[in-house]
Amino acid sequence: MTTATAPARPASARRGHLPRPPSFLRLVRIELRRSPMPLILPLIAALFWFDSYRPSTSQAPLYPLVTFWNMGQGHTIIDVGPFAAGMAAWIGARDGRRGTADLVTATPRPRWVAQLATWGATALWAVLAYLVFAGVMFAWYAHRGVQGEPPWWWVAVGATAVLAFTAAGFTAGVLFPNRFVAPLAAFGGFLLMMMSSQTGFRDRSGWALLLPTNSNGNFQVDSGILYPYLPDLPIARMMFLAGIAVAVLGLAGLPAAAGGRRVRMAAAAVIVVGLTATGTAVGLARTARLSSHGMVIPALHDAASGKLIAYTPVCAGSGFRVCLNPAYRRYLTDTVGALAPVAHEVAGLPGAPVRAVQAPAIYDDNDGQGGQPMTISGDPPVLSVPYGAFSFLPGPAGFSTAPVSRTVYDQNTRLLFAQAFVGAGDTLGTPAQQAVRAALLQAAGVPFAQQPGLVSGALQPSAPSPGPGRATGPVYAAAARFAALPPATRHAWLVTNLAALRAGQVTLDRLP
Amino acid sequence: MNVELTGLVRRFGRTQAVAGVSLRVGPGVFGLLGPNGAGKTSLLRMMATVLPPSSGRMELLGRDPREHPQRREIRRRLGYLPQNLGYYPGFTVTEFVEYFALLKDMPPGQVPRAVAAAVERVGLAGKRKSRLKTLSGGMLRRVGIAQAIVNDPELLLLDEPTAGLDPEQRVAFRTMLRDIGERATVVVSTHLVEDIGAACTEVALMNQGGIVFHGTPAQLTARGEGSGAAGDAPLERGYSAVLAEARA
Repeated sequence: MTTATAPARPASARRGHLPRPPSFLRLVRIELRRSPMPLILPLIAALFWFDSYRPSTSQAPLYPLVTFWNMGQGHTIIDVGPFAAGMAAWIGARDGRRGTADLVTATPRPRWVAQLATWGATALWAVLAYLVFAGVMFAWYAHRGVQGEPPWWWVAVGATAVLAFTAAGFTAGVLFPNRFVAPLAAFGGFLLMMMSSQTGFRDRSGWALLLPTNSNGNFQVDSGILYPYLPDLPIARMMFLAGIAVAVLGLAGLPAAAGGRRVRMAAAAVIVVGLTATGTAVGLARTARLSSHGMVIPALHDAASGKLIAYTPVCAGSGFRVCLNPAYRRYLTDTVGALAPVAHEVAGLPGAPVRAVQAPAIYDDNDGQGGQPMTISGDPPVLSVPYGAFSFLPGPAGFSTAPVSRTVYDQNTRLLFAQAFVGAGDTLGTPAQQAVRAALLQAAGVPFAQQPGLVSGALQPSAPSPGPGRATGPVYAAAARFAALPPATRHAWLVTNLAALRAGQVTLDRLP
Repeated sequence: MNVELTGLVRRFGRTQAVAGVSLRVGPGVFGLLGPNGAGKTSLLRMMATVLPPSSGRMELLGRDPREHPQRREIRRRLGYLPQNLGYYPGFTVTEFVEYFALLKDMPPGQVPRAVAAAVERVGLAGKRKSRLKTLSGGMLRRVGIAQAIVNDPELLLLDEPTAGLDPEQRVAFRTMLRDIGERATVVVSTHLVEDIGAACTEVALMNQGGIVFHGTPAQLTARGEGSGAAGDAPLERGYSAVLAEARA
């Protein structure tokens, strides 16, 4: 200790210096530098890698598919949120654990304000880490050639969820400053996420849509490729989560130690604001309805966001041309190869498509893709292929199943083409339609023996046990007779009877 | 008077830690002596506006701490070193002192120089970038003193400030106290009578929550003369004599 008397209250800052940041920001800066939050980031990064990133790589390389697991179902939030809450609780309990409460209380700045600075730094670290992890993941996706637009709205939802987790954990630490609060906050956060997931899988409408891991109505396989990610539900969810964050931070300002009467009144007002935001979000979610492109909340909906994304298709195929969205370029050759045999079989028949184009799938509120038929329309007729509705894209296409083989892809594609051609829509079709379809498939290289399983999987995914039967019975007998005819005879019969067949007016005994 | 206490009482359940203390303290260094459990820390915590009194009146720097705006003004002019200094182990010396300077509402532009001056005054300039977890107990005590004086307080409350300081540091500390005491009121709670004798202009002795002596160190010394009380130094004998009388 020196005895020299130094001026403890120096003269005002010298002129010409840059303006110094306000006290609050300087507090945040100190807290940022010394926050223990980075200590837990390696653990979170490892979790992120194993739980959020790796499972997504087994999906087809399209953004809405690879991110459906980690963003749509909220696994990134599950990986980051509870640990961030635990660490925030540890930090929030700091003054209680470290015995600095007296020292801090004896200062004029309201304790709540100082705590907000501490929370701000904590939240900044957590949110920044979340964004960096998500950014690195997307950069890696881009490096791998994943196509489409990343679901930025859902990244924002995740960041807001992390913010809410840090706020809740921090407040728990402030209100219950002991060493057990951190593990309890982390465990509580994890439990909440599990409950959120369970409720989310079950409830597909109402307030439950706001739960951070509810995947219903988030986005589907054509989002970011054929139509934009709708921001309606993300906005409502962010409002909900931000409201929770604000309200719990307000709770930290209620105890007498947090500050004077004005501070506590401000904290109470903050709670009201937070609860209002949360309540508004709940009200908005109750008005949500599923549109063909995603979840629409009328009060938040912008009609422009429902428009299809314009694109220049990529095309291939001689004779029968196939045109797809550029994001599906890698499947173009396979698709041409899959459709060509059926196209060849039906060429020249009335209503036979002259080309195939990709069409947007209809939004499905189920997890994953829902089966949707191909359709034939227009003049000249065009086969519309709702690629986004197919769960059998060749290559990696599932979280736990093996990659889809070319044979499976070919057979499914040909089935849907033949199904569209006989006019069966998304039903099994009449017996005559089934028989003609079977004959077409046989001619296109799908043996009768494999067809019952194929039909059951593609057209009756929820068929009860005992599952697909054998290729026997009157339908397959008629199909075998029809397929055995010379191509010219089949062709001539179809020219005459195709309209009636499509209208469901042909019975099985009328088949030659 | 910078400190005016009237019938101040603080109870913790059935225990009365401070029992009707009345005290008036002006500028200078004021020593608060007493055995363990005498109520010194509770009294200091009340004066630091950390602990509200159970009853009685308190006026600090001419303001009533019960009123929030006035309490805030008091705190702005207050320096406080608690008996058990809590600290954030990851902070450096400078960051810790800066943190409290900012909490004390110091103008941001003045903070860096004030922090540097406070750290310099407690002799830790060479350790300003060291993390607190790497410092010895005595150094931590000095960090605590630095945060207490960083805002150039008008009322400085120090609870056992010399605990853990080596003799050389104690001497320097007393000099610093005298220097600060020329402009401000410094209340030093201690059970080390040599600190009182060397630095204080006035002293009060507490026992069982009450003030049993209030005067100058010389007057306290005089109370021990010829009393036969135990003690190695005259002030210690005065301390023992007053305590013995109070207990009798």
